[in-house]
Amino acid sequence: MKQKRELVGQPHPQCFFSEFPAESDWDAVIIGAGPNGLITAAYLARAGLRVAIVERRYEVGGGLATEEILYPGFYSNMHAIYHLMVDFMPAIKDFDMERHGLVWIKPNLQTAMVFGDGGSLLLTRMIEDTMDSFHKYSDKDAVAFGKLMRNWRRIVSEILAPATYIPAMPPIDLTVAMQRTDIGREMLELVEQSPLDIINNHFENDRIRAFLLYISCMWGLDPRETGIGFYVPLLIDRGMNKCYLHGGSHKLAGALSREIVRAGGTILESSDVIKINRHNGSVTGVELMEGRTLNSDVVISSLDPHTTFFDLMDKNKLPTDLKDSVERWKYDKWSFNTVHVVSKEAPHYACEDQWVDESFMTIFGFESTKQLLAHWDNVVAGKIDKNSLGGHATCESFLDSHLVRKPGHISFFQMHAPYGIDGGWDKRGPEIMEAMLAKWAKAAPNMKRENIVMAKQETPKDIEIRFPNMRRGSIKHGDYTPIQMGCFRPNEACSNHSTPIKGLYLCGASTYPGGLVLGGPGYLAANRVAEDLGVKKWWKPTKEMERYIKTYLT
Amino acid sequence: MNKEERYDIVIIGAGHNGTTTAAYLAKCGLSVCLLEERPECGGAQETCEPIAGVRIQPHAIANYGGSAPGWEQLELWKYGFRMDWKAGAIVPFNTDRYMTTTDGLSKVTDKDKMGYAKITGLLTDPPFFKDLMRATFWCPPHPPHVELNENTIPFMQVYKQHQPDMWTRELLEWTMFDLMDEYLDTEPFKVNQAWIALVSGAHGHMEGAAIPALCSVATVMPPAVAMPVAPRGNIHGYYHALLRCAIAHGAVVRTCCPVEEIIIEHDRAVGVRLRDDATWGAKKIWANKAVISAVHIKPTFLEMIGPRHLDSGFLQRIKDLSLKGGSLYMTHYLTRERLRVRPKFQTPGYRYEDYGSFTGPFFPNDSRELYFENVTEVMGHQRNLTIPPERAMYGMVASETYAECHPQSTRPGVYINGPQWMLVPTPEYNVDGMDAMEDKVKWNEYMRKALSQVVENLDSDNIIQILGESPREQEFRNTGMLGGSWYGLRCDRDQWWNERPLPELARYRVPGIDGLYLSHQSSAHPGGLCLMAVGYNLMHILIEDGIAEPGDWWYASPWYIPEEGKISAIPNRPSSVSTR
Ligand SMILES: Cc1cc2nc3c(=O)[nH]c(=O)nc-3n(C[C@H](O)[C@H](O)[C@H](O)COP(=O)(O)OP(=O)(O)OC[C@H]3O[C@@H](n4cnc5c(N)ncnc54)[C@H](O)[C@@H]3O)c2cc1C
Ligand SMILES: Cc1cc2nc3c(=O)[nH]c(=O)nc-3n(C[C@H](O)[C@H](O)[C@H](O)COP(=O)(O)OP(=O)(O)OC[C@H]3O[C@@H](n4cnc5c(N)ncnc54)[C@H](O)[C@@H]3O)c2cc1C
Repeated sequence: MKQKRELVGQPHPQCFFSEFPAESDWDAVIIGAGPNGLITAAYLARAGLRVAIVERRYEVGGGLATEEILYPGFYSNMHAIYHLMVDFMPAIKDFDMERHGLVWIKPNLQTAMVFGDGGSLLLTRMIEDTMDSFHKYSDKDAVAFGKLMRNWRRIVSEILAPATYIPAMPPIDLTVAMQRTDIGREMLELVEQSPLDIINNHFENDRIRAFLLYISCMWGLDPRETGIGFYVPLLIDRGMNKCYLHGGSHKLAGALSREIVRAGGTILESSDVIKINRHNGSVTGVELMEGRTLNSDVVISSLDPHTTFFDLMDKNKLPTDLKDSVERWKYDKWSFNTVHVVSKEAPHYACEDQWVDESFMTIFGFESTKQLLAHWDNVVAGKIDKNSLGGHATCESFLDSHLVRKPGHISFFQMHAPYGIDGGWDKRGPEIMEAMLAKWAKAAPNMKRENIVMAKQETPKDIEIRFPNMRRGSIKHGDYTPIQMGCFRPNEACSNHSTPIKGLYLCGASTYPGGLVLGGPGYLAANRVAEDLGVKKWWKPTKEMERYIKTYLT
Repeated sequence: MNKEERYDIVIIGAGHNGTTTAAYLAKCGLSVCLLEERPECGGAQETCEPIAGVRIQPHAIANYGGSAPGWEQLELWKYGFRMDWKAGAIVPFNTDRYMTTTDGLSKVTDKDKMGYAKITGLLTDPPFFKDLMRATFWCPPHPPHVELNENTIPFMQVYKQHQPDMWTRELLEWTMFDLMDEYLDTEPFKVNQAWIALVSGAHGHMEGAAIPALCSVATVMPPAVAMPVAPRGNIHGYYHALLRCAIAHGAVVRTCCPVEEIIIEHDRAVGVRLRDDATWGAKKIWANKAVISAVHIKPTFLEMIGPRHLDSGFLQRIKDLSLKGGSLYMTHYLTRERLRVRPKFQTPGYRYEDYGSFTGPFFPNDSRELYFENVTEVMGHQRNLTIPPERAMYGMVASETYAECHPQSTRPGVYINGPQWMLVPTPEYNVDGMDAMEDKVKWNEYMRKALSQVVENLDSDNIIQILGESPREQEFRNTGMLGGSWYGLRCDRDQWWNERPLPELARYRVPGIDGLYLSHQSSAHPGGLCLMAVGYNLMHILIEDGIAEPGDWWYASPWYIPEEGKISAIPNRPSSVSTR
């Protein structure tokens, strides 16, 4: 590695103090401090690299945000709140997050679905509790669920979860590897089916089908698409193991940022990277909006493909294949529209089973699979049918006393929604919020106007305004379709986190294994960079990963 | 998980002052644990984005701390500290400036400027501005054996040395108005300065507060910059650099960890106990060397320690500390178009298209009679304002002024304006009740009317939303701001220097309880503002007590007088203080 100049403060001519300098040298610069950028930076900083991470917002965290949008006095986890991979994420173990005071709560009642007639279905940590709730509607389905989950849990813990943190394999190699075990073969069979087929094949009751379909597809799977069926066991199993980070999701970002700083890394907030500098085809650093330059032969971007390759670089100087693949990139087919509220009382659902009020997530608005599919079809077509919408809600203050600074409860109701809605969000926003509140009040009769102190809507457009890299409100930086997954995410040339441009790496949700707070892209990018630079890794694969490597890769 | 932990130092409250203290002590090599109640550190030094793409500063805004030794000692630039130098904000002192009065603009005359330059130490070569600021804010109160007089008070020493023709014993008796009458020219300029002092914690009309009041205004303006300036990432960006300095030196930081009790054994503070719902396994955290309370003085003594360890007379005096003053009603306006200044207030350089030339008014600066009318209304009557909004005094910082290239609104088609802030009665003493100002629709409208005296298009067509915050809400949001008081207790002569907060507590120690120190704006000289001053001053005391042993980077205040029988905080080497 080239000799780097020491960081020196730059005195300001008219003031008594020095500032961070206009030009500085680094071993690696990371663009974007979402979960993935932070993870990459933290691993590399501790590996001894001199690391700078640049964040556009005034606070690190990206999707890990706990902020006072119900201003003044109430904090909300406005983006990621359900942490699906806490059981497996290497960063949590490698950085000993417990030492940082991070405590994840895994509520027993994970998800409830409530229906107009007071009926309900539950998805719980314990398979047996879920089966009990299914028995109300179908003994056959209850038994089927129990049987399926025993296998699916193995598919998840032995294959899908560890593979999240191991570089993507080409489909052929993957198929060959999976032949080695029964569960591997079972997994391969699922891949070729659509979520709808999988659910319909195994379950007969329509409510149970709707419930499991929601849980399988809520993060953006097309229910009718084939080639991604392995997500069904993954998301149902993880849907039974969602965690809430006590004190709010931002605590994870805080802990990671402390790891970076403790290891000598520098965090620069409130600065957009506006350009990735290149010389003779290799990356030489980045430029910040306020005119500062960070020199580095390694630049790692956590942003979406368009921003990284087209906005921050000269599109016309890219290799043609790369340029074409970025142009072909599809953003998420649906986004979220969320209504956050402060209420005097916590939501109380009109439901025979009173336990529902304690559910981490509560789905309502849908009485049948048909209605659910109709909502999703509408969303894809840019529409919302105000009479037939639904989604999921969480009462955050029920889990976390730290979010409220004044007496009251905070909750949100989130639904799948199109970015490009007919008529535009500015115009349609208010009526849709009213319709959502009305729907909520129907499911939980105490969520009436008198009970609601403050309400705030975050539309897909708002998501994009907060995070320009979540283009079109893409919470995963790009759709989950077979040709955008695995070693095709974001394209064949970049899915191993390096790119055809020397020194440029990718670490965000648009790369393998994808979006949500998986910690996968960030971890894999750190591994890739460490390997390319010949830096000794201070971390080891988790035991689940070791077992996977032994079974399938050696 | 281990249920108990041990550090050298446990600090309660990660606001500006707790964090500065943590950074200093961690840099001394001590193991430090910083405990914060809220989900985010920073206390009143914060930014939030309640509407996508619209960022506001609910509390602190401008960087008053330019003269702090902390910049050098803590090397904040290393931790990403940057300023947001708006090109237009760097106005040399010699350009035209105007004050707004009901009748329109009043030009600041050369006599005003020269007089101001003289009293703030800008006329000598080299200027003594920085010494004056440091003497006023960055020096611990003298030990009790030192008699306080015109020869020992630090700022008096500075004048005597650098501007002897200004030095007179009367400086210690004067109000800021007296001082300004002596050196300045136009009434609106004086009224303006007095009003800024009033909202900065040292009242323009209080006897004996002339120099602290003057400095409270002057410290916001680095000498060559005649306008307040903000750090990049706003005041929270400055905070981040401080926090990261502490972390880089090993401080352990925990959010969502409210402290419920300071554990006292044998008259010594030995640790703290967290509230049950703290997001941390260990509920007791032990301190080998010191517990430092960087939260409001009232809960510190009344709730976290209590009568078991403190004498009831002392507790009564803590209870009696006034919360009066410093309660602000804050508004931000989200608008469709930029605010347009009424023609009579448009300065010659004003261009509607150039938002930077709208700096936000301080209004009305007509006369000191009007100033007193406002003061009486707020401090005297202690009831909801009855003064018509046309005559109510307020200040405003137009957000966009602070945005060289990172505008506070990145939401297409909208502008964020503010904060506009107005001094209002402290809720605790409001005769109409604590919640009297909670009718926010009404008070937002009052604020809007007041601002509309200067701005012509602040009407319902233009306004998308008004974000108002009452003092009660500031208190809820940030428990450090009791009564919403942003400088913590009123800052008159008996709340300044050796009297703050009570004479026996003025040296940051707590008599009768060893190992307990105070480091909050409400509990320590010099009080409010993000100055890195309480932490720096406290360092002297901790060195005296043998707790902190700083390295070569440390220098003591040149006006500091060591306490007899203690270790001197002056290092045994030539001082590296740079005096300009
Ligand atoms: C409403 C909503 C709800 C969600 N709920 C969940 C959930 O419950 N569970 C879950 O697991 N996931 C959830 N997600 C998804 C999850 O938040 C994201 O997939 C995840 O944050 C992606 O992480 P990342 O680090 O790749 O990117 P991001 O989190 O998008 O971080 C990228 C960062 O880069 C910054 N940036 C952008 N442009 C620049 C620039 N030019 N220069 C410098 N910095 C820049 C951004 O400000 C941002 O901080 C949700 C997302 C949304 C929007
Ligand atoms: C409206 C307004 C405008 C202002 N404008 C400016 C400005 O422009 N420039 C400027 O420099 N200053 C300004 N200030 C003043 C400045 O913000 C404050 O003086 C400063 O932030 C006070 O810092 P502190 O650390 O003393 O207290 P705080 O910021 O109150 O910090 C105390 C911390 O302790 C925490 N805490 C409380 N109780 C507990 C507990 N039991 N356990 C653990 N933690 C606890 C609180 O949550 C808080 O984080 C302004 C203030 C206000 C309100």
